[in-house]
Amino acid sequence: MTALLENLLDRAPLGVMVRIARIDWTAMSEDEGRRLREFGLMEGCEVTPLHRGSIFSRDPLALTVGRMKVIIRARQAAAITVEPAA
Amino acid sequence: MTGAIPSIALVGNPNAGKSSLFNALTGARQKIANYPGVTVERKAGHASFADGRPLSLIDLPGTYSLTPASLDEAVTRDVVLGKQDGEKRPDALIVVLDAANLDNHLSFALELLALNLPTVVALNMVDLAARDGLTLDAERLSKELGVPVVPTVAVRKRGMAELLAAVDGAIRSHGADEIAAPAEANDASLHQRARTIARAAILSETPVRRWTQRVDNVVLHPVAGMIILLALMFVMFQAVYAAAEAPADFLEGGIGIVQQWVVATFPDNFLRGLVVEGLLAGVGAVVVFLPQILILFLFILLLEASGYMTRAAFLMDGLMGKVGLSGRGFIPLLSSFACAVPGIMATRAIPDEKDRLTTILIAPLMTCSARLPVYALIIAAFIPDTNVGGTPVGLQGLVLFGLYLSGIVGALVVAYVLRRTVAKGAGAGFMMEMPRYQMPRLRDIAIGLWQRAWIFLRRAGTIIAMTTVILWLLLTFPQAPEGESQVEYSVAGRIASGLEVVVAPIGFNHDIALALIPAMAAREVAVSAMATANAIDAGDDEEAMAQSLGERLQGKWSLATALAFLAWFVFAPQCISTIAITRRETNGWKWPMFMVGYLFLLAYAAAGITYWTAVAFGLG
Ligand SMILES: Nc1nc2c(ncn2[C@@H]2O[C@H](COP(=O)(O)OP(=O)(O)OP(=O)(O)O)[C@@H](O)[C@H]2O)c(=O)[nH]1
Ligand SMILES: [Mg+2]
Repeated sequence: MTALLENLLDRAPLGVMVRIARIDWTAMSEDEGRRLREFGLMEGCEVTPLHRGSIFSRDPLALTVGRMKVIIRARQAAAITVEPAA
Repeated sequence: MTGAIPSIALVGNPNAGKSSLFNALTGARQKIANYPGVTVERKAGHASFADGRPLSLIDLPGTYSLTPASLDEAVTRDVVLGKQDGEKRPDALIVVLDAANLDNHLSFALELLALNLPTVVALNMVDLAARDGLTLDAERLSKELGVPVVPTVAVRKRGMAELLAAVDGAIRSHGADEIAAPAEANDASLHQRARTIARAAILSETPVRRWTQRVDNVVLHPVAGMIILLALMFVMFQAVYAAAEAPADFLEGGIGIVQQWVVATFPDNFLRGLVVEGLLAGVGAVVVFLPQILILFLFILLLEASGYMTRAAFLMDGLMGKVGLSGRGFIPLLSSFACAVPGIMATRAIPDEKDRLTTILIAPLMTCSARLPVYALIIAAFIPDTNVGGTPVGLQGLVLFGLYLSGIVGALVVAYVLRRTVAKGAGAGFMMEMPRYQMPRLRDIAIGLWQRAWIFLRRAGTIIAMTTVILWLLLTFPQAPEGESQVEYSVAGRIASGLEVVVAPIGFNHDIALALIPAMAAREVAVSAMATANAIDAGDDEEAMAQSLGERLQGKWSLATALAFLAWFVFAPQCISTIAITRRETNGWKWPMFMVGYLFLLAYAAAGITYWTAVAFGLG
């Protein structure tokens, strides 16, 4: 796969469920990575991005993981590669 | 456990309902609100088992694992692992789970179970799970986890007796002394197990309710959401004026009657002067603002209980991010509308150290409720009670809104500068859970309001009354000779005359100079100080006594001076408690000194610019 074909969570369309294919843990601090996992965001899980940004910027991103809704920054979302959910 | 009172800690994810359980079991009134990171300290309380034996319950900050990301989470880890200084390890744990969020909450539960302490699981918020179409099998969950699981609804006190019975049983039946060290579980495998167990425990499930999603589609909309946020704040300040007027007039009238009665009944002596001029006029002038403060709190409490707070944080994150903060910081800042002290405490939930420091340093710029009496007094005296150009928008409420906005804008600008100078650091992250919406419960709101009213009245009765009485003494002595102004002649008056030299360039007069120093104790004292000075000034002059403080000021101050005074209070760090808490939270005098210094400079500059501009426009 080339970078061009990759779909990043950062750019994923809102309201569509996707599966997390890969997370580039090196793109974030250890603490941030751990908090992501604590939210249940890890390879193989399904998420739905729902809201993105305000009039001020593209940040942040709100998504559902299971029954939980969480907010992350675009920078972390950009480290998450997603694929269409089955 | 040899006869000692067992201590039992409530542990779990943020917002799972630990403090609600704590309150239900101990009768305490810890703050509960619908966003993660409400509790930032360990709190202990007493309860008893069914047979009357006492137990000690410990409420802890919520956390996702035993590896903390912020200071509050570190407290939880330390207590649970028995690392807290001078604290023995809890004898048992109540692991609190949000029933509607098992997948996620079970991971932490599994980590805690691996500690092998006597443990009971409180499957909390089963009512909300049912609302969201989830049916759970507590017994199955108990079998999977190997510990008792008790369904609870903390806010309705359902399942409390069963929970305590289960804890008692768990402590009795626990094989002694096999307490394990925390297992180094790989999060992925932990999560996998959590999910498998959750799936086994869920009997039936309908998709997440649609209406909450529909609400969020509007509330978090980039444009509509922002408009709603601004509109909410705007309505809040309009309401502070519109709805508080009648009760405030009533209070003022009541105090006036008491004052007249005291004057008519008692001979003119030292004590009568102290009561009439110091307590009734001075402290009374502050107490009349109770209705305004309660309306402000009503709004804040509703926002906190409904779950809107995290939505506001989401909306503000973009702007906060631009100045190097995060949306997370918006919550402590909004709390600072009530008072900067709990606001500064709440910053413990901010993971990034520099982000936290900056938030602490700008918290005093949020308009706390102690400023409300000052603002309200000056606005009522100098801003006409009219509507803006035929709209239903009240001008006074608009000015108040403007003052709050100035504080916020000032805070953002300061944060921008600090993040590029003294609190330099990588851009803070922002990761937060968004709780479900909840209907605020009347009882919780009523208790919250009652608590705030009590705090305010206690302040009025202690620090404000004390400072005002001291000021009254300093204003009464030495006795001025006939024909000279008592206020100017007194000790306090002379000190004020000295200070007046410094503040005269920014338009401040003797009244203000007199109020500034005692107002360091608490901002409201500015009002009581001026009221006391005016009462002494009025003496036995019936006409002057009948005038309200606002009316008296109106006659003496120019509009430019009044505006400069307001601008001063937007910035000035007139609060000893804030300085003290900043010292505690930053472990030293460096940052509180810095804070006081920069805020006074800003206050002076803001008041000066306001005054000179107003004078240039002919308002001097
Ligand atoms: N419907 C319902 N709401 C609950 C229940 N327990 C708690 N809540 C609500 O859930 C929210 C969070 O409760 P808290 O007790 O503050 O939660 P906490 O676990 O102490 O949260 P942190 O201190 O932030 O870790 C509040 O809005 C409570 O009113 C419950 O059993 N049912
Ligand atoms: Mg709590």
